[in-house]
Amino acid sequence: MKAYFVRHLQVLFATLGNMRRSPVASITTIVIIGISLLLPMILYITVKSGAQLTESWHGQPQMSVFLKPDLADNEATLIFDELRLHPKISLAEFVTPGQALEEFRAISGLEMELDFLDENPLPASIVILPITFAQNSNELSLLRDELVKIDGIDEIRLDLEWTDRFNSILGNINRAAQLLSALLAIALILITGNTIKLLIMNRQQEIEITKLVGGSNRFVRRPFLYFGALYGFLGALVTLFLLAIAASVLHEPLSELAQLYQQSSLIYQPSLREFGLLMLFSTSLGWCAARLSVAQHLGEIKPQ
Amino acid sequence: MIQLDRVSKEYPGGHQALKDVSFTLDQGEMAFVLGHSGAGKSTLFKLITMIERPSTGRIVVDGQELHHLKESKIPALRREIGVIFQDHKLLYDRTVFDNVALPLIVIGMPDDEIRKRVRAALGKVGLSGKERAMPQTLSGGEQQRVGIARAVINRPNILLADEPTGNLDTDLSREIIDIFSDFNQVGVTVLIATHDLQQVERLKKRTIHLANGEIVPIAQAEPEEQQ
Ligand SMILES: Nc1ncnc2c1ncn2[C@@H]1O[C@H](COP(=O)(O)OP(=O)(O)OP(=O)(O)O)[C@@H](O)[C@H]1O
Ligand SMILES: [Mg+2]
Repeated sequence: MKAYFVRHLQVLFATLGNMRRSPVASITTIVIIGISLLLPMILYITVKSGAQLTESWHGQPQMSVFLKPDLADNEATLIFDELRLHPKISLAEFVTPGQALEEFRAISGLEMELDFLDENPLPASIVILPITFAQNSNELSLLRDELVKIDGIDEIRLDLEWTDRFNSILGNINRAAQLLSALLAIALILITGNTIKLLIMNRQQEIEITKLVGGSNRFVRRPFLYFGALYGFLGALVTLFLLAIAASVLHEPLSELAQLYQQSSLIYQPSLREFGLLMLFSTSLGWCAARLSVAQHLGEIKPQ
Repeated sequence: MIQLDRVSKEYPGGHQALKDVSFTLDQGEMAFVLGHSGAGKSTLFKLITMIERPSTGRIVVDGQELHHLKESKIPALRREIGVIFQDHKLLYDRTVFDNVALPLIVIGMPDDEIRKRVRAALGKVGLSGKERAMPQTLSGGEQQRVGIARAVINRPNILLADEPTGNLDTDLSREIIDIFSDFNQVGVTVLIATHDLQQVERLKKRTIHLANGEIVPIAQAEPEEQQ
């Protein structure tokens, strides 16, 4: 059993050494695999980041109740009281146009530009938090329909609605990512398989002679399977490398943004397990590609 | 033991390379196959090693009906037979050592055992010290002997040599034929295809004469041989 593994290791190292014999094809294949895997990886991280973001919103299905701009202060106070005392509302907070502007200034970073505005264009609003009992989409829309009838209220924005829409967009990206992954997997199998075919053709004579002296198909096949797996593995390493570069470039602007949203990090950080799965996926893809290619082309080589 | 029973081989394209060939070579026997160029000598060897399959007839090698041999059992058959190919079939981008070791590598023999055996085989064919040489740097005769070392490395029961003395001078030819003779003395079945009448006459072994794919009596084969 030990001898068996030693043999496999030897073939693996021989394979590594042999890559030097066709470096351009090998490196090209590895880079193509790396870049191809990058795209679904980015989509995956985007979806995960979005999910992470909506999760942090979900705890508080707030509603923003915008008041009519020309509303007098006492009328506004009346509405505020009405909402505050409403049985289905647990919390209400008045946001004056000035506060709204401050907040917008902070989020947008448009310091100077806003100073040039003569008049504050933002209306006063009341942010309300429904009681826990009413925190489902159904109850929330009922509540909104009820409140929107109150005189002086201009518009009610249900944050959950927005979350739902956002989630459905995420769902679409997710489906696109899955479809893309499947298509890319096929493309990678074809590309890797083609490179393996090239290697087989380059070694036609070696294969022929090996078969002549009694090398089994399994023996002849083995190094090519290692090639495929190695391509997949190294390709995934290229993906990780590219992701690391992207992360370091985006780190600073993103962490500033994250502070604004009071999030520790906006971008989903894949776990070690997920990276491991990527490596495993890519390696097995390479192996499968090699197997298919070998099944197709090794049989064609018959000793003369 | 090699037995051919009414074996014919027609290549795709219709050329009849062997017609109705029957003979038996007993365990431990040594024989020459004589015949003009194109007579079918190499074809005969290719049938015995299952590089080609006969069109009709049956072949038995070491008790195995080749007709019934599964594709997956061909490697095992080839390990029992040491073959010296007419065109050497060496790997020119590998050292002499790697070439000779190949039949042992494919069966997964431990490295130190391989080293021992390769050294012994190269010693036997007079190529000691050439382990690290590349085949191109060797003379034709030396390359031929690399092929011989590779054929005997796995201690086969049967040796097939396709014109092993092809373009060697008399002394070298004699040396090489003597190597085969040595193997035959220790019980290996040996079949040699050759043009080299001198060696055939010297050893006084059985000869099988082929002409245009058929076994013929000596008298009919000889005029063509002497051209
Ligand atoms: N793969 C093939 N396809 C078609 N015809 C073939 C093939 N191999 C050999 N032949 C033909 O079969 C005949 C016998 O060929 P073979 O190689 O057995 O001859 P030989 O006796 O070994 O000749 P030589 O002494 O020149 O090596 C020849 O006429 C050759 O052209
Ligand atoms: Mg021949």
